Amino acid sequence: MRNSNEIIDDIANKEYEYGFTTDIEMDIAPAGLDEDVIRFISAKKEEPEWLLEWRLKGYQAFKKMQLPKWQHFDMPEMDFQKVSYYAAPKKKKQLNSLDEVDPELLATFEKLGIPLNEQKALSGVAVDAVFDSVSVATTFKGKLKEMGVIFCSFGEAVREHPDLVKKYLGSVVPHSDNIFAALNAAVFSDGSFVYIPKGVRCPMELSTYFRINAQNTGQFERTLIIADDSSYVSYLEGCTAPMRDENQLHAAVVELVALDHAEIKYSTVQNWYPGDKDGKGGIYNFVTKRGICKGNSSKISWTQVETGSAITWKYPSVILQGDDAMGEFYSVAVTRNKQIADTGTKIYHLGRNTRSRIISKGISAGQGENTYRGLVQVGPRAHNARNFTQCDSLLIGNRCGAHTFPYIESRNKSATVEHEATTSKIGEDQIFYLNQRGIDTEKAVALIVNGYAKEVLNQLPMEFAVEAQKLLSITLEGSVG
Amino acid sequence: MTSDITTPFYQYILDGGNGLTPKEDVLYGVRQDALARFRTLGLPDLKTEAWRYTNIQRVLKEQPFVLQQQALPVTAAQLAPAFIPELSCYRAVLVNGHLQPELSELPAAKDITITKLSEATQQKGFKTFFDKHPHLADQPFAALNTALFADGLFIELKANAVLDKPLHIIHVYTLTQHAFLQPRHLWIAHPHASATVIESTLGLHNDAVAFVNSVNEVVLEENAELWHYNIQNAVQNSRHINQTAARQETYSRYHHYNFALPQATMIRNNTSVALTGSYTETDLHGLYLANGNQHVDNHTFVDHLVPHCNSNELYKGVLLDTANSVFTGRIHVHQDAQKTNAFQQNNNLLLSEKATINSQPQLEIYADDVKCSHGFTVGQFSDESLFYLRTRGIGAEAAKHLLVNAFAFDITDQVHIPALQHYLTEEIRTVISN
Repeated sequence: MRNSNEIIDDIANKEYEYGFTTDIEMDIAPAGLDEDVIRFISAKKEEPEWLLEWRLKGYQAFKKMQLPKWQHFDMPEMDFQKVSYYAAPKKKKQLNSLDEVDPELLATFEKLGIPLNEQKALSGVAVDAVFDSVSVATTFKGKLKEMGVIFCSFGEAVREHPDLVKKYLGSVVPHSDNIFAALNAAVFSDGSFVYIPKGVRCPMELSTYFRINAQNTGQFERTLIIADDSSYVSYLEGCTAPMRDENQLHAAVVELVALDHAEIKYSTVQNWYPGDKDGKGGIYNFVTKRGICKGNSSKISWTQVETGSAITWKYPSVILQGDDAMGEFYSVAVTRNKQIADTGTKIYHLGRNTRSRIISKGISAGQGENTYRGLVQVGPRAHNARNFTQCDSLLIGNRCGAHTFPYIESRNKSATVEHEATTSKIGEDQIFYLNQRGIDTEKAVALIVNGYAKEVLNQLPMEFAVEAQKLLSITLEGSVG
Repeated sequence: MTSDITTPFYQYILDGGNGLTPKEDVLYGVRQDALARFRTLGLPDLKTEAWRYTNIQRVLKEQPFVLQQQALPVTAAQLAPAFIPELSCYRAVLVNGHLQPELSELPAAKDITITKLSEATQQKGFKTFFDKHPHLADQPFAALNTALFADGLFIELKANAVLDKPLHIIHVYTLTQHAFLQPRHLWIAHPHASATVIESTLGLHNDAVAFVNSVNEVVLEENAELWHYNIQNAVQNSRHINQTAARQETYSRYHHYNFALPQATMIRNNTSVALTGSYTETDLHGLYLANGNQHVDNHTFVDHLVPHCNSNELYKGVLLDTANSVFTGRIHVHQDAQKTNAFQQNNNLLLSEKATINSQPQLEIYADDVKCSHGFTVGQFSDESLFYLRTRGIGAEAAKHLLVNAFAFDITDQVHIPALQHYLTEEIRTVISN
């Protein structure tokens, strides 16, 4: 058996498995950002006037803002003028079926293990594939349409359902929320739009695969999910990206709105290019995700498995506005090499009897830095609010870091808030036990890590759970503390 | 620094600070550096991360403050209420930060020095300890204190010295006008020395506002042990910013207890411990009991720099009326500090609709073979507990007192001097009964 140092070296040097690029002709906006670029994007997408206005408001807000300084890592230098803000696969005639999709594009998805074809039908997943910025193919539309579910690209939603978009766009993440959200508001390319009508339980897991492809192009997705009264939807998001030398900024915005008795479950598996072993390249994943439980007894649940990106910096949040609403956040974040994760959640308890649960599992290996940062705020109206937070850190190797920075603000005496955090390493006794049962060290670590993260992985829908487990094993196989 | 209140105050301090120290003073250089540091750091506002929950402007309203205040006469009768009943102890009485030997009762032992800090500055080796704590550097109010302090208490325990009775330090504040005071203390315990020190406050300043910005540097050398009790029982019209910075060498033990009681308008404690030697023990225990419109802010920082150190932190708070409390506990485990055990716990009891609590228990860990945890809770009495006590024939009020006492017991039980323990339990009872 190899000794642990060799194994750790192996992992440190492991190349990114999903790195490749696809050659497709692009429509690319020149690098730089000004009002003209925004007008160009808006015109390209044939958007109505009100949306352009909104984009410009976002741009005005963006201009006034500065990069924050409170994060627990050194902010890479960011020149917003060097990024190109629009890239779309060259427009071809209207696609009627998958056969018309660029075969090279289909091959890319094939390589990623995402069969965008009949196989998906058997697995019961409708896929809205976002290739860089414009939706290429949407499946299962028919079936969803029958039930009144709207699941389409953002651009299409603007054309077909302007009232809904107008009503909810920016209602959870305003155009001036933070610098990246403002940037997104100004230049967002495309994204997904979901509307679940009253009383409908969405019959399948909705999933979108994001993939960053064009060099030097930030991805500015915008996702808006609205679950009307008593509806239910489970939405999956998964990402892999090709190997690149230059850093790519990903500043997406996700907005969730849950009305009375509605439930939204949002799951993410993120495995973007993390950079090489010196931390060169890699994606900057600066995403603003926020949901609002607007109605009574509504529920929003975030589940994320973060293994990729050079820097993951996001706080999927829930505003518990309605009475008896519930928010959940389950997270596994793995960092290795020089990866950084500064992630967590914000839960705002505003309504009565609101409940929230936060389970965060951080795993740091190599020189990875993992930070949990979270806010639990209980407002004066939130009688009997209840929160439970648990964040655990696992350290593998002695060059990594694990940090916990929770913020707890309670303004109601009947509220009960609990927070606990622990830090540990994989016990030698655990490894030894598994070794003497004939399980080699690599597998033992995978087993322990998967066991450690089980509470979170259990929350993922079936297909994702398998993928996430595989991902964890691949990312960390063999590392011994 | 653009607000109406802070700008003139900031300027006023800088102007005042420039003229205070004569050039020939041994500390002239240190003070000038500190003033420059304060100038760079500036007065904190709500955007300063360490001060995001404590609005310093709120307590700067009573300007102008005088920056120096000599001791005013205090009679023995005035002093008596500050004594802890049945506690056999030495006594050091400081009036406005100046030691008053005639009111004090100091130990005669030759290997123990308790004197005015201003007298100790000439001593050989003073500068090797003074203003050397790594955590003071980035604290604006500590820099301000270094620049402006007038006097304070210097304690030095020579090697193997053992203080046979606790030392009770009574900080008396008596003022005729609003004052911004900067007491400065330095306590050094050389190898194998041990002592118990109790601090408490006696406020005689009525309408005049005492804004006390104190810094206390504690050095524990090899195998030294210090029990340090700080009872913050200042009167109304007091604002206290208290920086206690301890440094521990190998095998040393530091037990710090902080009791923040009514009625000071604002209390801010920056308690930090730097562990520079291995195999140390650190206890940071705190109880804050706030009522009225009090604002109590505890910032603690345990800095594990070397391997094999244990730290244990427990802060408990009971909030009444419109009181407001902040707890920020930070544990930093450096890469070299393997085999660290660091625990932290913060529990809060909110007894009023209008009370608020903000808490930030923080772990920052760079070593893998460590055991670290933190916990936080906030809640109120469980109805079941109250109901149970009432079924046993205990009245609602009495049951509440019982439960608050039980909640505080975890801290008071740790107090290792029976007389002091009794005194504190009584103090807590009085606050709750009112």
